[in-house]
Amino acid sequence: MHKVVTVEVEKDILSANRKLADENMSLLDEHGIRSFDFLGAIGSGKTLLIERLIDLLKAKGKRCAAIAGDVAGDDDFRRFESHGVPAANISTGKECHLDAHLVDHALEKLPLHDLDYLFVENVGNLVCPVDFPLGSHKRVVVISVTEGDDMVRKHPAIFAFSDVIVINKMDLSEAMQVDPDALENDAMRANPAAKVVRTDARRGEGLDELLAALGI
Amino acid sequence: MHEISVMSEIVKGIIDEAQKRNALRVERVSVEIGEYTMLGEEQLRFAFKVISKDTLLENAELDLRTVAGTIECECGFKGEASPASDTPHRSVPVLECPKCGGGARTVGGRECVIRDIRMVVPDV
Ligand SMILES: Nc1nc2c(ncn2[C@@H]2O[C@H](COP(=O)(O)OP(=O)(O)OP(=O)(O)O)[C@@H](O)[C@H]2O)c(=O)[nH]1
Ligand SMILES: [Mg+2]
Ligand SMILES: [Zn+2]
Repeated sequence: MHKVVTVEVEKDILSANRKLADENMSLLDEHGIRSFDFLGAIGSGKTLLIERLIDLLKAKGKRCAAIAGDVAGDDDFRRFESHGVPAANISTGKECHLDAHLVDHALEKLPLHDLDYLFVENVGNLVCPVDFPLGSHKRVVVISVTEGDDMVRKHPAIFAFSDVIVINKMDLSEAMQVDPDALENDAMRANPAAKVVRTDARRGEGLDELLAALGI
Repeated sequence: MHEISVMSEIVKGIIDEAQKRNALRVERVSVEIGEYTMLGEEQLRFAFKVISKDTLLENAELDLRTVAGTIECECGFKGEASPASDTPHRSVPVLECPKCGGGARTVGGRECVIRDIRMVVPDV
């Protein structure tokens, strides 16, 4: 004979990733490394901003590394490497976001005993990375004026769950007829606690403000 | 876009539980989705149908419930965030403290929990 039973489980599917993220952060803390996730729209300038920050920090004698997350290819990874810093590449294959497990593996490839700062570039996507913290100290979301003035209103969650919001490609705002004040207003409403920074990564403007927002 | 991978984990978790008890089949599963996750209900239902095929879960009822997100503020407020009045359709509320207007921290609503499973097991 058979019977029907109801079993209580209470299993959080997303907690496995969060646990790994906490482990990543502990590992980074043990080595005294501050780490930053860069999330954001496709082509908003995540890689270029990180490249600029790496150069600035190197000039100050700081040791940086970067992890490049992309669906395919090693373009961003090579760009990081060309700045003479250790880098690791993660090709997610199919996934639309990095997760803490992938980052854990990338950390194995980096000389953790020899680093001050780590930058982790996520897959260009304003939706999926939200559910998968990676274990970094600060989350930075990068948008640019070329995506239009409604980016924040269309994707409020990623802004709500980030610490720093970057509005990049300020040099193009006039050409795009996008008002950065409108973007900034939306950003402040989505997350009153976040720091909002405007940058022009092409010409290297706003980088000191960005470093300050990162607490560097 | 990541509903398929999340649902694969859910189905795996349920099959584990069912196999532990030698279940013949699963009749119903209750899953709670936090309001602040980026998981869409329709996509989850579709993913469940596809992934549960040819498993103990085939044809099981999926009971999906959304759990309200909660926030906590330095002023002492703890509770649900109120959506900004001019954007009532927004799925994610502005994380503004309804009491003092300050920036609040989320404390609940980002989880995806298998609550319980109803299954047919041998009566021993
Ligand atoms: N004019 C201008 N161009 C920029 C700026 N920042 C980045 N770019 C250019 O925009 C393009 C995309 O920049 P990336 O740094 O590759 O952007 P990304 O966000 O890393 O892109 P994905 O990794 O593909 O999502 C490149 O051609 C950059 O040179 C900026 O502030 N102003
Ligand atoms: Mg890039
Ligand atoms: Zn408050």
